[in-house]
Amino acid sequence: MKDISKSVVRKDHEEKITGSCKYVADYDSKGVLIGKLVRSKKAHGKLIGINFPKMPNGYMSVTYEDVPGINEVHIVKDDTPVFAKDSVEYIGEPVAMIIGPDEKIVNELVKETELIIDELEPVLDILKSDTVFFDYEYTKGDHVKAFKEADKVYEETFSTGYQEQAYLETQGMMAEPEEDGKILVHGSMQCVYYVHNAVKKVLGSDDFHIRQDPTGGGFGGKEAWPSIVASEVAVAAYKAKKPVRLVFDRREDLEFTSKRHPSITHYRVAVKNGRVTAMDIDVKFNAGAYTTLSAVVLQRGLICADGVYNIPNLIVKGKALKTNTVPNGAYRGFGAPQTFFPVETIMSHIAQDMGKEPLEFKREHLVKQGDMTSTSGMYHFPVPLEDMIEEVAKASGFYEKRKKYSEKQSGRYRRGIGISMHFHGAGFTGAGERDLIKAVAKLKKHKDGTVEVLAANGEIGQGLRTTFPKIVAHELGIPLDRVYYNWPDTGKVPDSGPTVASRSLMVVGELMRRLAIKLKEIWKDGEEQIVEERFREPSFVIPFNLDIFQGDAYPTYAWGVQAVEIELDTLTGLMKNLGTWASFDVGTPADYNIVMGQMEGGLLQGLGYSSMEKMDYDKNGRIRNNNFSDYLIPTSMDVPNMNVQLHVEEYPDGPYGAKGAGELPLVGVPAAYVEAVSQALGGVRINHIPFTQEDAMKEIAKKDE
Amino acid sequence: MVGSFIPKNKKEALDLKAKYTELIPYSGGTDLMVENRKNPSYLFLGKLNELKGIKKTDGKIEIGAETTFTEALESPIIPQMMKDALILIAAPAIRNTGTFAGNIGNGSAKADSALIEYGLDAVITVESVRGERNIPIEDFYLGRKHIDLNEDEIITKITIPDIHPDFYSYEKVGGRKALAISRIAFLGILEMESDKIKSISVSFGAVSEKIIRYKDVEKMLIGLTKEEAKAKKDEFVKAYEDRMQLTEGRVSADYRKKVTIKLLKEFLKNGGI
Ligand SMILES: Cc1cc2nc3c(=O)[nH]c(=O)nc-3n(C[C@H](O)[C@H](O)[C@H](O)COP(=O)(O)OP(=O)(O)OC[C@H]3O[C@@H](n4cnc5c(N)ncnc54)[C@H](O)[C@@H]3O)c2cc1C
Repeated sequence: MKDISKSVVRKDHEEKITGSCKYVADYDSKGVLIGKLVRSKKAHGKLIGINFPKMPNGYMSVTYEDVPGINEVHIVKDDTPVFAKDSVEYIGEPVAMIIGPDEKIVNELVKETELIIDELEPVLDILKSDTVFFDYEYTKGDHVKAFKEADKVYEETFSTGYQEQAYLETQGMMAEPEEDGKILVHGSMQCVYYVHNAVKKVLGSDDFHIRQDPTGGGFGGKEAWPSIVASEVAVAAYKAKKPVRLVFDRREDLEFTSKRHPSITHYRVAVKNGRVTAMDIDVKFNAGAYTTLSAVVLQRGLICADGVYNIPNLIVKGKALKTNTVPNGAYRGFGAPQTFFPVETIMSHIAQDMGKEPLEFKREHLVKQGDMTSTSGMYHFPVPLEDMIEEVAKASGFYEKRKKYSEKQSGRYRRGIGISMHFHGAGFTGAGERDLIKAVAKLKKHKDGTVEVLAANGEIGQGLRTTFPKIVAHELGIPLDRVYYNWPDTGKVPDSGPTVASRSLMVVGELMRRLAIKLKEIWKDGEEQIVEERFREPSFVIPFNLDIFQGDAYPTYAWGVQAVEIELDTLTGLMKNLGTWASFDVGTPADYNIVMGQMEGGLLQGLGYSSMEKMDYDKNGRIRNNNFSDYLIPTSMDVPNMNVQLHVEEYPDGPYGAKGAGELPLVGVPAAYVEAVSQALGGVRINHIPFTQEDAMKEIAKKDE
Repeated sequence: MVGSFIPKNKKEALDLKAKYTELIPYSGGTDLMVENRKNPSYLFLGKLNELKGIKKTDGKIEIGAETTFTEALESPIIPQMMKDALILIAAPAIRNTGTFAGNIGNGSAKADSALIEYGLDAVITVESVRGERNIPIEDFYLGRKHIDLNEDEIITKITIPDIHPDFYSYEKVGGRKALAISRIAFLGILEMESDKIKSISVSFGAVSEKIIRYKDVEKMLIGLTKEEAKAKKDEFVKAYEDRMQLTEGRVSADYRKKVTIKLLKEFLKNGGI
C-alpha cells in the first residue's frame, strides 16, 4: 500500500460522532422566519390565481412576483421556475412560500392557502409523452451492414425504476441578510457554485454569497435541487429583510425532490459467428416536469450503453421525455446504472441462448487498452477486468457455485449466483472539465504555518475534508493537523467545480498535489502565501464533440466486477443475500478506509436498487411511497457479507494514481443481482428492476402451473 | 384536554381512566409517537411494575400487559414460538420499549405477538374500576383497528397456555430483514395425542382486516390420524383458499393468497400431513 493510502482519523470524525456538528436545521431559530412551501396538489394545470388567507402580523407570502431578478432556476437549462407562475407541472411543485416566526402558524397558513388551478390532463407515461426534452443519437462503424449480415438478431426491452437518494439529512437552506447588505445563503448542498449561479440570476445581483453547511449525505440528490431551494429562501429573505430557513420534512423530501430517472431501454443485438457485431440501443428516461440535469444524466447513460465490450458497430439513441411528475436528477451513477443493467443482462441472455456460460461469452468481448470506446475515443490505459474477474471468482467460489446451481434444484430454498462487469467514466462527461468547469483551486499558507485549502468541493460524507488536506500535508511533509479545509464559501474560495461525477479527488485532488509542490518551492516561514492552480486537460485526450458524440468522453475509467449469491425462498419469494463480492479499481486509494466505506456503501445502495427500493406514482401522478415504511431501503440487518477488494491500476494524471471512486460501486450491481435471482428461478429471464419478492412469486407461480 | 398523567399504581391508573375517559393509554409509545397526535392527553402505563412481568401458574403463562418484547425475549418462561415472532419485530430499540399491550391496543392485524396469541387461544384481561373482564382474543378483536375495550378500561394481562406442541411453524414475510412490518405472517401448531391429532391451529396475520383463524375448518382434522388427515388435506387447504378474502396493501392480494396457501401446505407437509 502506498503511504497516501494509509488511513487517518477523518477530520469530521469527532464532530459527527459527538453530535456537535451543526447542520442547517441546528442554527438558533431566534429571529429566524420559518418557511414552508405551498405546493401544487395537481399534476398539471393552468395556474389562475392564489387565495392567501389573511396574514397575521409578521407573516407573509412569497411568490414569483417577489423575485427581484428572473423567476428561473439556472441549472443546465433554466426552465424550472422558482415559484410557478402560469402553470403547474407536477404534484408538489412550489407555487408560493409562507414565512413567519411560528412554524405551526405557518403550517396553518399554508393549509388555508387556496390554489386556483384549471386542471389539464397530465402526461404520466413516457411512452405517451410527446415532449422530448433531449434527443441524442450517435453511431460507430457501420451498424446497418452489421445487422444485415447478422446470423441472428436478439431483441429485448428492459426497465428500471425510481431510486431515492435517502440521505440522512433532508434538503435544507437558510438565507440571512448581512450587515453589509449582502445575503448569505447557507445549507445542505454539493455544489456551492451551482447554487451561486442560480441565486445570482434570481436575485439579479452579486450582493450575496453561498456557503455549504455540514451536509448529511447527497448521493447526487444535492447536486441540482439545492439551487431551487436556495433560490426560494434567497427571494424570501430579500423580501422579508430577515433570515429565512426552509427545511423539508421527510415526506416532502421523498415525494417532491429529484430521484434516479426511471428508464425503458430497447436493445437489438446482432450476432455473427458467435460474436456480437452490432448493437442498436434505444434509451428513454423519464425526466419529470423540468429538464434540471436530465441532459447530462442521459449523455452518461448513452455513452456506456454498450457496456465493457468492444462492439464495432453501434447506433445509440436516447431521449429524456417530459412527464408531469417530479423532475428527476442525479443519483450516484448518473444514468449509467440504467444502461449497464440491460447491456449486461442481454449479453447473458444471448450467451444462454447460444448454450454458453454468460461470463465466458462476455470475456470474449471485453475491451482492452487501445480499443476504441463507444464514442470512437480510446481506452488509453490498461483494462484490468480479466484480473478482477479472477479475483472476484476466486473469492466467491463463482465457477463451482455457478455450475452447481445450474443443475436442477429442488426443495424450498434455491440458490443462484451472478456476476457483472462495468466501468465508470471518471470525471465530468465530455469536454466539460475543459470547457465548462475550468477548475481553479488555491492554497493559502497563513503566517503561523498552517495551510488552508481554498476549493469549492463539498464534504458530503465522502471524505474530502480529510483527503484534500491529506494530499497537501503529504506533499509538503507537514503534519495533517496543520492543513485544513473549511466549509466552502463562494465569497472566499475559487470555483474548483461541482462535487459530482466522481471528479473531486481525481481532478481537484490533483490540483491539490500540484499546489502543494508549488507552495513548497516558494515556502517562506512567517509569511502569508497564496498559490493557485488551474485544470489542464491531459495531452492524450481525444477532444470530445458533444454534437456527434465523438472523442474521449472521459480521460480514464474506474472498473468494477461484482458477484452476488442469493437464496430464494420458493414459498415466499424472499431473496436472501448469501454474499456479495467485488473488485473495484479506483486507482490509488487516497485513504483506504474512506474508499472502502464508499465501496461498501455504494454496493449496498446497488443491492437496494435491484431488490427492494420500489417507488411509483399513481394514476394522478402522486408518489405514494413517501415514508420509510413504504419506501424500503436496506437496514444494517440487510447488509450481506461483503467482500471488497481494491485492484489498483494507477492513473498518471490523478494524484498518486487515483481516479474516480464515488459512483462506481453502485453502478454494476443490478445485473449481478438479477443474474443470481434468475439462476435460482431456474433460468427465468428477468428484464426489470427492482425485482421484488412479489415478482419472484409471480415467476414461481408460473412454474407451478 | 385534561393533560397527561403518570399514575403511581394500577389503582390510580384505573381511577384516572374512569374519571377522564379521553385519556389515551400510553405504554411504550412506539406507535403513539409515530402517530404524533395533536395535543393528546396520555395515561402513561409503561412503568407500572404491577402490570409487568411473566408468571407461570398451573399450566398457564401470564404476561403483564406492560412487559416489553425485550423482557419477554429474556424470559425462560416464554414459549419459543412467541420468541420466534418477537425477535423479528422491528429492531432492538423498538423491542426495548414496545409492549404486549401496545401491540394489541391498536387492533392491528399486523401485530406480530397477536398472531401467536391467536394461535394459542390467549385470553386478554382488561380492567376498570368496575372490575375485570377476561376475553378470548378472537372476541377481543372486533374488526379493523377495533377492539373490545370500554372507554374506562385498560389492558392489564395476556394469558397463554403453557403448551409444548409436537410441531409448529412460524413464518414472517416482510420487505426486508429488520424494521419490516409483516406483509404476511403465519402460525401453524399441531398437537398429537397418541397417534391422533388433538388440535391443529392455523392463523394468518397481516393479510386481512383481522387475524384469520377458522376453528370450524380446523375441526375437520381433529381426531384423525396423520394418514387419515392426509386424505383430507386437499379439502382442508381448499377450505382456506375459498374462504380467505385477502386485502391489497404493500403487496397485492394475489401475492398474499399464493404465499399463505404455500405456507399452509408446507406446514402440513412438515407436520407429517
Ligand atoms: C419502526 C417501527 C417498526 C415496527 N415494527 C413492528 C413489527 O415488526 N411488528 C409489530 O408487531 N409491530 C411493529 N411496530 C409497531 C409497534 O412497535 C408495536 O405495535 C408495539 O407493540 C406497540 O407497543 P407500545 O407499547 O409501544 O404501544 P403504544 O404506542 O404505547 O400504544 C399503541 C396503542 O395501544 C394502546 N395501548 C397501549 N397500552 C395500552 C393498554 N395498557 N391498554 C389499552 N390500550 C393500550 C395505545 O393507546 C395505542 O393506541 C413497529 C413500530 C415502529 C415505529
